[in-house]
Parts: sequence; structure tokens; C-alpha cells
Amino acid sequence: MEKKFNTSLVTNFGPDKLLPDLKFAEMEPGWDCGGGTYKITKEEVDKFAKLMGDANKGEVTVPIGMIYIFGLRICWDRKVFIDGAVRAGDKIVFHKPAKIGDTITTKLSVADKKEVKKEKDGKVRINKFLYVDMNATNQNNEKIVDIQMSFLLPATMQ
Amino acid sequence: MSAIDFASIKAGDVLPSKSLAVSQQLINEYADICGDYNSIHVDVEGMKNNPMFGGSTIAHGTINVEPVIQALCAIEGVLWPVEGTKVDLQFRAPVKPGFVIASNLVVKDKKTEGGKNILICDMKIQNQQGGDCVMGSAEIVIP
Repeated sequence: MEKKFNTSLVTNFGPDKLLPDLKFAEMEPGWDCGGGTYKITKEEVDKFAKLMGDANKGEVTVPIGMIYIFGLRICWDRKVFIDGAVRAGDKIVFHKPAKIGDTITTKLSVADKKEVKKEKDGKVRINKFLYVDMNATNQNNEKIVDIQMSFLLPATMQ
Repeated sequence: MSAIDFASIKAGDVLPSKSLAVSQQLINEYADICGDYNSIHVDVEGMKNNPMFGGSTIAHGTINVEPVIQALCAIEGVLWPVEGTKVDLQFRAPVKPGFVIASNLVVKDKKTEGGKNILICDMKIQNQQGGDCVMGSAEIVIP
């Protein structure tokens, strides 16, 4: 399909070393995955609200769903989604509403990791889980939303 | 204004639901907004030969969550979930074009903490056949 996404909407920043460059042992809590900045326009809000049947039709507040997907856009740009990793779930805490025209900054960092032993049909497997924080703030450094994503890493991950 | 009377609500009550009909067109237009053109979402022909999801594309994970986000806003009577509202969710099964997904929030308990009235709920997002696509819990602040 023809790609219509306006890539200039989102800029990203962060260290040259990206998450997929690390071994599991190096994925320490607090490791900086970088982040990104964007500004959502009324046009974008109208487009999203119409598509999702959202009640928020071009009002002042940005639908939380848009903060979610722009955050994920930054995750793609910063290569937070490791090849073969399965997104297991999210924990979301809502703070102050995002407004149309706000400059939103999303920062990404490793929150935690754990290894879970699983036994099936007499075989023991170690599942590796990685938790990544996605924290969004506005231009006044006020919290918008905190999302912690959990990933089941591929069995081949060293 | 909230659609809920906190004083009278009790465990087992089912909260108002929101639903979303998912089509390939919706997935494609969503990709245009978020920039995620992963083939598992948009390559209809390519995915026909891929057994991973039964020969189908699947919706972006954030589309799956949209009904519960809209339900939270409707329940709280706001356009953005009230500060302190929390959702904990696990993705259980993919959502495919043709699915109609709906939020299912059932009150488990309630509490008043720091001056806030909070409903503690079990949360699911199910398809039209009652299959669980997303499961978890929510703490909903009633203004």
C-alpha cells in the first residue's frame, strides 16, 4: 500500500547504541533508549477521531490513543521493538491531558527484566522478559502518561 | 459529568461498553497516522500465505486497546482519563479485519483514597464471538 505517514511530525533523539545492540545481561534498569518529540495538530486529531469513532472531534484535548501511537512511532524509530520479541502487555497511568499544539516529549528507558523458568512436557525453558518505560510529558515538563510495556524476548536472545 | 453514581455502584456491576468494528481499511488508515506499516498489518496478499495468523493480517495492538480507552472516558465523563486512572493489560489474541471488538468492565471493588473515588475493575476486550483479545484490570477514578 502507498505510505502516507508524514515522518516530519516526529523527531527522535538518544544514544547511538540501540536496544537490539545489547545482550540480555547488558539490559540494565535505567538504560536510556532515547526518545522523541512531536506536536499534534487539530488536523491529525480530527483524522484520528473520525477513524476511531472517538467522541473527541477536534476539541482541545488530544485523544490518549494518539499519544499511545506516537509513542510507539518513537519506539520504532529508536528500535525498541527487538526482532522476534512479542509484546505481552502494557501498564498505563494517566496524568494531565495533552492539548492540541502541545509539544510532547516521550522518553524510553529499560525499567526491569526477569527470567521465568517454565516446564512443559518434561522440558525446562527460560523465558526472558524485558520491561520498557515510555514516559510522556508536555512542554512544561508536566506528566501526560506513563506506560510500561512488557516484552517476551526471542528464545535465541543471548 | 460521570455516567456512574459511585455511592450506589457495587461489585459485579457491569460498566458501559464501547465497541469498534475493525476493517482492513481502518488498519490501513491507522498505519497512515502512526507510520507502522509492518507487513503483518497491511500486506493482505503476503499474509494469505503466512500461517502465523491463519492467513490474515492483524490490527495494531493499540487498536485493540481503543474500546477500553473510549469506555474509560465515557464512564468518567471526560475526554481524557482522569489523573490517577490506571490500566494493566495483557495481549491475549490477535484482532483481525472483520472483528467487532468491545470493552467489558466489571466492578470488583471500590475505594476512596486521597480524596478520590476509585472503581477497581476486571477488564476484557472481546471479539464478537466472546473470544478474549485483551485481558487485565483497571482502576477508574470517578470525578
